[in-house]
Amino acid sequence: MTDVDLDELEPGRASVDHGVTARVKRSDAWRSVFRHAQQDTPRGRALQSFSNVFLHVYPVKIPKRVLRMRYSFRLGFIAMVLFGILLVTGVYLMFVYTPSVGSAYGDMQHLKTSVGFGQLIRNVHRWAAHLMVLVVGLHMVRVFYAGAYKKPREFNWVIGVMLLVLTLLFSFTGYLLPWDQLSYWAVTVGTGLVHYVPLFGGRLQDLLIGGPQVGQNTLLRFYALHVAVLPMLLVLLLTVHIWRVRKDGFAVERASVGAFAEEATERPVAAPAAAAMAQATPALYGGRVRLLGVVDRESVTEAARPVDDTVFTWPHLLVRHVVVALGTAAVVLGLGVAFSAPLHGLANPNLTPASEKAPWYFAGLQELLSHFDPLIAGILVPGGAILIFVLLPYIDRNPDTRASHRKVAIILFSILLAMAVGLTVIGTFFRGPGWTFVAPWTHSYIEF
Amino acid sequence: MDDKSRRDVLRGGWKLGGALLIGAAAYTGYEALRPLATSAGGAKITVGKTASFEKDTSTYVPAGRMYVVNANDYIFALSQKCPHLGCHVPYCESSGRFECPCHGSIYDLAGEYITGPAPRGMDRYKVTIEADNVVVDTSVVEPGPAHGAKIFLTPPKGPGCIGKA
Repeated sequence: MTDVDLDELEPGRASVDHGVTARVKRSDAWRSVFRHAQQDTPRGRALQSFSNVFLHVYPVKIPKRVLRMRYSFRLGFIAMVLFGILLVTGVYLMFVYTPSVGSAYGDMQHLKTSVGFGQLIRNVHRWAAHLMVLVVGLHMVRVFYAGAYKKPREFNWVIGVMLLVLTLLFSFTGYLLPWDQLSYWAVTVGTGLVHYVPLFGGRLQDLLIGGPQVGQNTLLRFYALHVAVLPMLLVLLLTVHIWRVRKDGFAVERASVGAFAEEATERPVAAPAAAAMAQATPALYGGRVRLLGVVDRESVTEAARPVDDTVFTWPHLLVRHVVVALGTAAVVLGLGVAFSAPLHGLANPNLTPASEKAPWYFAGLQELLSHFDPLIAGILVPGGAILIFVLLPYIDRNPDTRASHRKVAIILFSILLAMAVGLTVIGTFFRGPGWTFVAPWTHSYIEF
Repeated sequence: MDDKSRRDVLRGGWKLGGALLIGAAAYTGYEALRPLATSAGGAKITVGKTASFEKDTSTYVPAGRMYVVNANDYIFALSQKCPHLGCHVPYCESSGRFECPCHGSIYDLAGEYITGPAPRGMDRYKVTIEADNVVVDTSVVEPGPAHGAKIFLTPPKGPGCIGKA
């Protein structure tokens, strides 16, 4: 083991630490893994960030306001944590589960009766899935009200919409896998909708369920979609999503439209020019944060000097993220302990149960379906909503992010949101067996 | 000139190759997913003597996933599959109607649309009488009658089944 120059490593240190930990940390092997020793200087922290692929996901420094809970409510991060929980619990479930009509249901029972913590894993998987739909939706709502989909973040909003759709597809494909009455008929109805797609709906439905009715082919292809195709797509899009969040800097309310437009011009800037620009426009948080990413590292600390409104990501933001992640895990675990995932009777293609109800996030759709033609309620309305969301940043060209200057957009979005929430509440709480209208306090038909 | 044309060929060539690859991948995906010749349906089923289907009754035939009904002495074979979104429509003995629990579509004994979100009445299979036997050909499906066809509509015999858990 070759000791490195201690003066460089820890300047001003009086005596050499001979403890085992310290010696290991000084070894070549350790330094081959962690290239930069912990150095409590701005430069040291920056170097640590730059040389670590995981830390590099974060900027070295962030504006203080980003630390405030109100800024994002950490919803995007929570969604990512939930996805992580779903991956881990999902792999556990894969060890037990066989996607076959003959054994899927039995595997679910086996999980409950013979596998230690088996049912808990399934409960946690299910709750994390429910919460992920909720949190991804709330994240979208928050991003809308913050106006954070505006230039230069238009395309990242589009990717966000795709991630929401993927999340729903995850829920839908996963719903079938236990192969009980609940899943069988929910998927029969859901895939029945596809039939109403104009022109090639019938063909599309055939490809989706692989036969005249939901059966073994459907189970196998939903399984493949759920555990392979969708995760790959989601990880791919999530990577781009996060990378763009990082590159576009943090969305903060701009003092004026002019400053925003100037900040938005994105081009590689040479180091001296970057420093000069940072000096000239000290008020532009977003601009300077991004400059940190493009200039060489000597300029980083210099550029950060003019106004010290920033803090180091590590520890300030990372500690908060760790706390949020642990909190999320605790909530999901608590819900999993308290409320078990249901398992109705074995799927029976010849008997639709009287209590056929979609999960809450599709209850609004089910409510619409009970009133309108399936082409309208099942295809045009949801398809149109997704299309409007995708096009939103290209329709709303107003660069101002202040609420008082974008009243029309906010009012329209709020009306849409209220309708969606209203339909969901009616579908979830006010509908009884046979989809008849009931008061929520008169029955115990609500099932999550 | 030669150099340039070779470069052009390569420049276009990789795009063509890429397009072919994507096409092949898409076609393979289609081949993997498309359903093979359907095993269900297509069979002729002899469901019983004509006399066994009494007037204004419905008989469930699990083998054909269908109901054989006698509506005012006309025999129909109705697919159990709701034309709305594919739920199994149960027959409600108390009302003498077909009532779908999923979205509340209701049909009369002959499968004619009465109410609900369904786009048409219940689909029918071809029925023939061969030597006093009722024979259903499940390979011939006739889409259910359009809204407004109320040839066999009679008032409900009694209370409906929907809404009773």
